[in-house]
Amino acid sequence: MTRVMTVTPRNRRFPTILRFRAWRWGAAVLAASLALAACDTGEGVDVDGDEEGTAGDAPEGGTLIAAIGGEPDQFDPHVTTAHVSFQVLENVYDTLVAPDAEGEYQPSLARDWSTSDDELTWTFELRDDVTFHDGSDLTADDVVYSYNRIIEDELANAYKFSEVDDIEAVAEHTVEITLNQPTPALLDNLGSHKGLAIIPEGADEDLDLVTEAVGTGPFELGSPEASGVTITAYENHWNGSPTLDAVEFRYISEATTALTSLRAGDIHWTDNIAPQAVEDLQGDEEVELGMSPSVDYWYLALNQEREPWDEVEARQAIAYGIDREQIVEAAQFGAATINQTAIPEHNLWHHEYAPYEHNPDEAASLLESAGVDEGQQLDVMVVQETEGVQIAQALESQLADIGIEVTIEQEPESTWLDRQSEGDFDAFMWSWVGNLDPFGFYHAQHVCDGGLNFQGYCNPDVDELLNEAAGETDQDARKELYDQAAEMIVDDVSYLYLYNPDVVQAWVPGLDGYEVRPDRATEFENVTLPE
Amino acid sequence: MTGYVLRRLWQSAVVLIGVSILVFAIMHLVPGDPVRQALGTRATEAAYQAMRERAGLDEPLLTQYLDWIGSAFTGDLGVSFRTGRPVMEMILERVPATVSLAAAAIVVALLIAIPLGTIAALKPRSPVDWFATASSQAGLSIPDFWMGIMLILLFAGTLGWFPSGGYVGLTSDPVGWAHHLVMPAVTAGVASGSILTRFVRSSVLEALGQDHVRTARAKGMRRRDVLGWHVLRNALIPLVTVGGVQLAYLLSGVVIVEIVFAWPGLGQMALQAVESRDYPLLQGSVLLFAVIFLLVNLLVDLLYARLDPRISYVGAAK
Repeated sequence: MTRVMTVTPRNRRFPTILRFRAWRWGAAVLAASLALAACDTGEGVDVDGDEEGTAGDAPEGGTLIAAIGGEPDQFDPHVTTAHVSFQVLENVYDTLVAPDAEGEYQPSLARDWSTSDDELTWTFELRDDVTFHDGSDLTADDVVYSYNRIIEDELANAYKFSEVDDIEAVAEHTVEITLNQPTPALLDNLGSHKGLAIIPEGADEDLDLVTEAVGTGPFELGSPEASGVTITAYENHWNGSPTLDAVEFRYISEATTALTSLRAGDIHWTDNIAPQAVEDLQGDEEVELGMSPSVDYWYLALNQEREPWDEVEARQAIAYGIDREQIVEAAQFGAATINQTAIPEHNLWHHEYAPYEHNPDEAASLLESAGVDEGQQLDVMVVQETEGVQIAQALESQLADIGIEVTIEQEPESTWLDRQSEGDFDAFMWSWVGNLDPFGFYHAQHVCDGGLNFQGYCNPDVDELLNEAAGETDQDARKELYDQAAEMIVDDVSYLYLYNPDVVQAWVPGLDGYEVRPDRATEFENVTLPE
Repeated sequence: MTGYVLRRLWQSAVVLIGVSILVFAIMHLVPGDPVRQALGTRATEAAYQAMRERAGLDEPLLTQYLDWIGSAFTGDLGVSFRTGRPVMEMILERVPATVSLAAAAIVVALLIAIPLGTIAALKPRSPVDWFATASSQAGLSIPDFWMGIMLILLFAGTLGWFPSGGYVGLTSDPVGWAHHLVMPAVTAGVASGSILTRFVRSSVLEALGQDHVRTARAKGMRRRDVLGWHVLRNALIPLVTVGGVQLAYLLSGVVIVEIVFAWPGLGQMALQAVESRDYPLLQGSVLLFAVIFLLVNLLVDLLYARLDPRISYVGAAK
């Protein structure tokens, strides 16, 4: 068809059959695309540059365009476990309490709470001025319904209610929670993230929660599409109407595309920043960079049911054999904070303890006393396409210096998880994300029969400390217990803690009211766009 | 003709059943537990069992397969593990973006291949031919993620001519649709165009050497008429074959291009389904890709008869 147009555009003697065919080819392709595109169900993503929300010229209110790294799997807060889903849901739902940037729990839907003398009954007083997006009032029945849904349907966060015996609405705005043992971490269990969201009574039957939402948050969920979703301001939000008119989330999985979109003014905000781009961005005037150590951490776990890693000296040798600075440089391009315990600085539960430094000689002598021979094999299992691969590569060369031969086993996440739960590994590299309370950081990973203790660690002293801490309601005493436990966990190398990766986010200069949080919660409630 | 089409459709159905068994078997043989993946490490054993039951994974494999294929015949491809949405709905949602990109990319490919291949064939072993061959080799060798990112950096970043990514529905905004389509279509089209260029070149070359072309020239027919009447038309048949395969390939999603340009196509969705072991979604997608390939092949075969009167399917129907 091209031939017809480019070579003999005005040749009337050109064979009509070929010309006709060529035209039909084009027409067929065009018609097919028109026909199929016409059954387009959605509006798609707004055109860049044509919308009010475009960076640079937005007045008060306006639409913030945020690029997140992927498509949320679904929007049912009690079912999803995907971070990208919670980036949206963070702005749509509320919880009874919510953590501040230091990890301390503050009132949210509950304005106040009290504990009985035996620590087994918690009474939450709800705010009485909260309405759902459909206009109905929030009552204690909604709280009871929401929690019972999670528990009875065995949904993703059901484990957070294992100490809960009963949830009861004792007055219109009063909820009573009865526990089977004192649980100081209850606030964390009820408010750590929007997976514990309060939904209206009967919402599971009345709505398709996978794609619809009736929350109490500052924004209402629009209809999700394959390329993005828009949330719009809820004027009657109990904490005041948000400053923005709307937030449009776009799913951009390629970091270069997200960054170029930000520079070109197609989007206002993104957290899809490749670690290697951070250094360049720090001096960049076109982009504002926000960084904070996250509550996430990367660690290496050695299988303590396999020789020689059942010997504490052998594990400590690895701890002395690694160079954390090099690891952080290799895996995160420096965008991380080295930490020999789990909880990051700035968090109120942080405990400064760093007994290990890079010391190959010490490592070698520890290996000798553990009876480990030169050339000892160590297979390190990592999830493919994660930072774990780079960490393992750095580890491979560092441990070669002390005579340990590392083989890196890259597995898809699903296979990796299977092998982890079956104990089929020498060592694995992994990260925990989103913990705020020390119970979440330390308990199930390090008590002898802990559900997440895949490495087979067992120290009765640590068990005692962790179990006591789990029930200790005095915050200072509780911290003291966790500090002691953390030191023993580090000394025994139950986990070999490496670092807390930084939360890295970027936005257009002039965007105001946004706070980078260690728990990666993305709240757009108080954001204003640049003039 | 109708008989032929019916027979081909019947054969296609048999192939599809084979494909469905293969896909089902491979998916369940690959290690990795979709439920563990969906729930994360922290889920309780009861939650794990509850989800396995909901998803029907506790049934014997044969029962699972028969349930799935039975519903598939009625257009119900099941519900995605990961999203909890009907697979059919998820696929249909992505059809417009996929078809837009595939159609535009094949147009780009033909715009590259037909002129370049024909010119190269008309002057074999000349600098023009050398250029055409070299550029098609280059087009094939350049990784599409690199080309996509370069286009984005230049045309979206530096020049600001095109948006860096995203998709706009044709019905909601035709101009925006076209505007967003250009760079992904060029990126996807260059590779296909490079493949097609070689086929155009060799088939035009072959057609040029045939007796009737020499005769037409000898009787004094104008060069461009010879080219149009006798050469290109004959050369079209192999082009249709390879072009059809390329179109089917583009329709089943160009994963890398979709990721780079944040294009909500079927390829990205299928990749996500593989990663999360989302059996229903992946089985549905692969079944759809098989249907696309079979239908495009059928259309290609029917086109032969239109292009070349010597080919007829009437006899085949008997």
